[in-house]
Amino acid sequence: MLVDFKLIERARDGDAAAFNQVVSAYRKRILGTIGRLIGHPEDVEDVGQEVFLRLYFSLDQLRSAEVFEPWLYRLTSNAAYDYLRKKRRRMEARMSDLSEQQMMIADAMAGEKVDRDDTARKRIREEVDSLLGAVSEEDRVLLTLKEVEGLSLKELGKIYHVKENALKVRLFRARQRVLKAFAASRKRTAEVGR
Amino acid sequence: MMDNQRYLQESDEALSALLASYRDASPDPEPSVNFMPQLWQKIEARERTSRVFTRLTRNLVTAALALSMLLALAVEISRSRGGSLPSETYVEVLADDNASQDLYSFEPVRVMPVYDRQD
Repeated sequence: MLVDFKLIERARDGDAAAFNQVVSAYRKRILGTIGRLIGHPEDVEDVGQEVFLRLYFSLDQLRSAEVFEPWLYRLTSNAAYDYLRKKRRRMEARMSDLSEQQMMIADAMAGEKVDRDDTARKRIREEVDSLLGAVSEEDRVLLTLKEVEGLSLKELGKIYHVKENALKVRLFRARQRVLKAFAASRKRTAEVGR
Repeated sequence: MMDNQRYLQESDEALSALLASYRDASPDPEPSVNFMPQLWQKIEARERTSRVFTRLTRNLVTAALALSMLLALAVEISRSRGGSLPSETYVEVLADDNASQDLYSFEPVRVMPVYDRQD
């Protein structure tokens, strides 16, 4: 725990300064997790504020110290999931509005952006974002928490209130889908390189 | 078949490495200076909305209570003024009402011709 539970209790009782301290202790870590979950740096702060907003209005339900962090991760994954779902709906609506020619221009512009971007970090981010786009939002969030954030099955079980075996099955399936997309993309790259 | 399996295994390892490097490629960002002020603005906005709803609900409940008390009072007053409520059915009341009416009001109207006056 990054903060003492007494501080959380004070925040729960309406102490604004204590709440500020709790947010300050966790915000960097939470913003990082959100960034990796949603893959859109421009919206990270908005989603982060939504997480702490939900925390503020649900603090009175918190009973013990040990559930605080899994609970905060749960709020984070829920907010990220909501964001991804909304984003997909907006994207679908926008794409259905575009004509074929506009789509080609959009594709070309995206390709140009990738060409211009020569940093390895950005390439990794884009590759992972596109791979994680192959699975549902729920699986994307779950897979990121496990494989990228490094949470254990036990911790994930506490966040999702699900048994470890059920999580293992879900994770395996999600990973298989991502692996399939990854292997296909590697094959394509190898063929182009020949 | 064997090659394909080996290829998948290699891909699996490469995927694990890629996902691990994703964390390093996207480090935790520094929050902007506006993070806390904006957060408190959002908290206050939501509190305001919930206060409005609470007040509205409370007012509606009070109004409903006052209305039901008024109705109860009106029923009580009408009961005390008009004595006991009729024990007959609606049809019986209608039949009594018809019987008491004067019959001349149901006589056919006689139309008398009006002649033009001839001077």
